[in-house]
Amino acid sequence: MMKQQINIVAYQCKACGKVHFPFHDRCLSCKGREFDEIKPQGNAKLITFSQIFNLPWGFDNRFIFVGVAEFENGVKAMGQITANDPGELKLGMTVKPTWGVVRVIGGEDVYGLIYKPIQ
Amino acid sequence: MRPVAIVGAGMIPFGRRDDDNLMDLLAYASLNALDDAGLGDKGVDSVYVANMGAGMLNHQMSVASALVDRLSLMPAAAEAIENGPASGASAIKNGLLAVASGYYDVVLVVGGEKMRDVSGWRATDFVASMTHPTAEYIYGITLPGMAGMFTRLYMEKYGVTREHLVQVAIKNQEMGALNPYAHVESRITHEGIVDSWHSRVNNPPVADPLHLYDVCPVSDGAAAVILAPLDMAKKFKKTPVVIAGFGQATDTHSLQERQDPTDLKAVTLASQQALAMAKLTPSDISVAELHDAFTILEIAESEHVGFFPKGQGAQAVIDGKTKLGGQIPINVSGGLKARGHPVGATGVAQVVDLVWQLRHELPEGRQVKNAQTGLSVNFGGFGNNVVSFVLRRGE
Repeated sequence: MMKQQINIVAYQCKACGKVHFPFHDRCLSCKGREFDEIKPQGNAKLITFSQIFNLPWGFDNRFIFVGVAEFENGVKAMGQITANDPGELKLGMTVKPTWGVVRVIGGEDVYGLIYKPIQ
Repeated sequence: MRPVAIVGAGMIPFGRRDDDNLMDLLAYASLNALDDAGLGDKGVDSVYVANMGAGMLNHQMSVASALVDRLSLMPAAAEAIENGPASGASAIKNGLLAVASGYYDVVLVVGGEKMRDVSGWRATDFVASMTHPTAEYIYGITLPGMAGMFTRLYMEKYGVTREHLVQVAIKNQEMGALNPYAHVESRITHEGIVDSWHSRVNNPPVADPLHLYDVCPVSDGAAAVILAPLDMAKKFKKTPVVIAGFGQATDTHSLQERQDPTDLKAVTLASQQALAMAKLTPSDISVAELHDAFTILEIAESEHVGFFPKGQGAQAVIDGKTKLGGQIPINVSGGLKARGHPVGATGVAQVVDLVWQLRHELPEGRQVKNAQTGLSVNFGGFGNNVVSFVLRRGE
């Protein structure tokens, strides 16, 4: 079942404002140790992607698309992409983030980001 | 700190070695290096074993303790070094520091990996376990997938084309065909992997825009070196090769957190450190072994080391500047692309190939004429931990 809420948390340094995802104990910019938790906001811009055919153990798919996108508030995150052909995607295009099952590990559903291209 | 030389080097043929287990691979390569150094039945002070996956792939731990037992090297100190695909160079670095400090005199460094014990999809998952567990791994990202994303950005920024990548693959497999230690000993042609109707079967996409022949094979293999203080080198039978410089640098775990994901900062920093320590510049290097796990990496690393300006590495391949006899011969061994990539062994194998080059021991067709200096880049993760060496032919 698809869960609607994007369940990831990014971390904005209280000292310098740098946005981090995933978590770091010290800011990558100023070494600060205090962060505000922020949620990714809005749609995202596709930075890069690959259609992967030789998949790791645990996938039954013939291929998956994986890419990195940047949200409107600066959070950058990897996610799977709903596509069938690389020609459907372009760098810089807008993608809509959704939340769903991305993998099954040890019999358990693992949820994560799934980007849907916006035409 | 005292100067350190490589006084022995050994390797075993890489490939699918169904009849050998991991300890066999490590032992055979070690014995080759010990014999090459002329150590005979003598011992060493310390042993560093580079290995990434014995626990996951071979269900064996404490491989360094097991190896000294196999080789009857007790009571030598022994430990394993795990630093992803840069484990080999990391282990050499640790051995180097131990000898340079004066604490140990004779050190064995051996790197090995037995990857073909498991299926391809298990091996792919093993390598992918280097990625960030919650921000990357869960999505099914693989190292070829990381390289595919990197390639797409590099193509967009620098105009690299599939043709450039194809030429790297053809060059390295041409050299691998001459290397008896290479996993892949077959030449490939442009027709076979690009032009012909059957190229779609021969060379399918693996991680778009990368195809099968852009990616190194999954291999079994091992390589070893013996380190000693330079002032002891004359006691050994072969021409010493001096470790004139080394460097190591790290970068963010996740590719997306790099300000410019096409900038392999750790490669630049590690190679700059190694060159500065050796008091050399990129133009002083006779031969290089770069970490071409993917064809794009040979091009990108050749630029980040400083052999070519950014954006000109691809054209340098087309112009033949990286071939044997060219401006800077790169991966004359065949590189990871043809020699293979047993992950824990690779960084040591790169150095062994450079040692053979600098001793002028290789046959015509593989030997860089009058090679005096060599540079290696061993690339861990997706560029988040990189070790580089500069070697110099000794007296």
